[in-house]
Amino acid sequence: MSGISGVTVHQDCITMYQELKLRKKYKYIIYNLNKDRTEITVEKTSDSGQYDDFLQELPEGECRWAVFDFEFEKDGGSRNKLCFFAWAPDDAKIKQKMVFASSKDALRRALEGIAVEIQGTDPSEVSYESVLNKVSTGTR
Amino acid sequence: MVTYGGDEVSALVLDIGTSSVRAGYAGDDSPKAIIPTQYGFIPPSSDQDVDMGDNSDSTEKPKGARSFIGEAGPSLFRPGMQIGNPMSDTLIQDFGPIPALVRHVLQDSMRVNPSEHPILVTEPAWNTPENRERMAEIMFEEFQVPAFYIANTGVLNTFAAGKGSALVVDVGQSVASVIPVVDGFVLRKGVAYSNLPKLVAAHARHILLGNNIDLIPHQLIASKTPVEPNMPPQYAVREDKIPGVTDSWRQWYEDRAVEEWTQNMGGILEQGWNDQLAIQRPARQYEFPTGFNTFFGPDRFHVGELFFFHKPNLVASNSSLPRHIPALISDSLRACDIELRQVLMGNVVVTGGGTLFSGFTDRLHNELVRSFPHVKIHAPGNPVERRYGAWLGGSILASLGTFHQLWISKEEWMEHGKGIVAQRCK
Repeated sequence: MSGISGVTVHQDCITMYQELKLRKKYKYIIYNLNKDRTEITVEKTSDSGQYDDFLQELPEGECRWAVFDFEFEKDGGSRNKLCFFAWAPDDAKIKQKMVFASSKDALRRALEGIAVEIQGTDPSEVSYESVLNKVSTGTR
Repeated sequence: MVTYGGDEVSALVLDIGTSSVRAGYAGDDSPKAIIPTQYGFIPPSSDQDVDMGDNSDSTEKPKGARSFIGEAGPSLFRPGMQIGNPMSDTLIQDFGPIPALVRHVLQDSMRVNPSEHPILVTEPAWNTPENRERMAEIMFEEFQVPAFYIANTGVLNTFAAGKGSALVVDVGQSVASVIPVVDGFVLRKGVAYSNLPKLVAAHARHILLGNNIDLIPHQLIASKTPVEPNMPPQYAVREDKIPGVTDSWRQWYEDRAVEEWTQNMGGILEQGWNDQLAIQRPARQYEFPTGFNTFFGPDRFHVGELFFFHKPNLVASNSSLPRHIPALISDSLRACDIELRQVLMGNVVVTGGGTLFSGFTDRLHNELVRSFPHVKIHAPGNPVERRYGAWLGGSILASLGTFHQLWISKEEWMEHGKGIVAQRCK
């Protein structure tokens, strides 16, 4: 399974996602490309539910993908939704942006059960408020 | 690098636009060779034997007995030479000259042997299945390329901006288009385009002719003497050449003169039209090939304004007026559902040489924020990146080692024929 770039997805990407989704072992996963830009790999996992901690993991000037298990309150009850992030800041190198953009589909299709997808190019687009706004629309 | 036959060979990237053909190596940040898409030709004279009966498609040639392609092609005066263009609305309408143009840009300008390199070709979002199959056929059969891929310019521009989804606003020499791309695929029902750049060029020409400016090609000027601004030009015409000037050559030269003026002088008021503001902007001096020079004030902004606004009297007098950019965007978004519209407005990608007017991006932003809460425009500041965004996207894509699985190989072409193009290039 792959996107137009032909980059493949390492099995760990899916295994760890399943552990996040089904066993709540992690709160977020950061994905990156390997050095040769041929395969998507897990760069980091964390059990911190602090959204600010997560935001620290999205570097300036470099692309990443991530899954965050977003918890929020709605109508007096606690909910959670799995959010997929495609992080591609404008000042990242054009080649990196291109490889990430043309490979995203490979990873995205491997992860079942994502509720919200966020394409982020600057901090405002991945801010807590912006994501909260996206996850809470359509939730009953 | 692509491995082919055990050797590492770079792929080639070919982007054919209305004004120029761009070619280069995958992995480079700019095309190696850029030649005009237009070509000159001299029609066979009537006393020569013209074989009208054998006008079949099997022999693909540019029109005419002799053709002149490349930098020194259409721009040089030759008695009786006319100008042809295989493109119309950024689609190839006449495949006749295409092999000659491709041969020139690859073999004469780049000095590569196409039979040794995989080639990625670009296509507009509204390309027809017949056209892309024909392109594949030319590449495999005439140029014996080992592998081929055809990629959509909207998708390439989106990827080059680092995005999977975007609204691509592309202004070229003859067409302005708005293309919604969602997860790497063009949303066909949302594709909107018009001949807006032609309206802008026509208006610029109107302004120049209204000022009695002679657009005579510099190739017809023997000599000129510098004159003060607004004084009549003093130049001598190459009378000997005049009988050999054809209408289409003269038209092509005048179009180029108008385009050059527009690119240098045209501007856009960021906050929308305002007579006061237009007058307050400093006038700029421009010199024409005849030596005539003058200052242009508000006229500069009248030209650019046509990208964003059409006066009611203009609309009333012309029923087939090409849609301006805000109209193209709203038509495009109407075909997208509401949630998608927000995503697209947060990811507007501006590309094409026609967007390089000063004030273009700011004006677009100001127009869009009136209707949408969150607007973000991605417009590369580097003019090369802006002008050749699709080429650049193709260059990066084709240079990825992992891209090889998508190439259509010569063997696959021989085995499956045309059908494989639509299957592989989605």
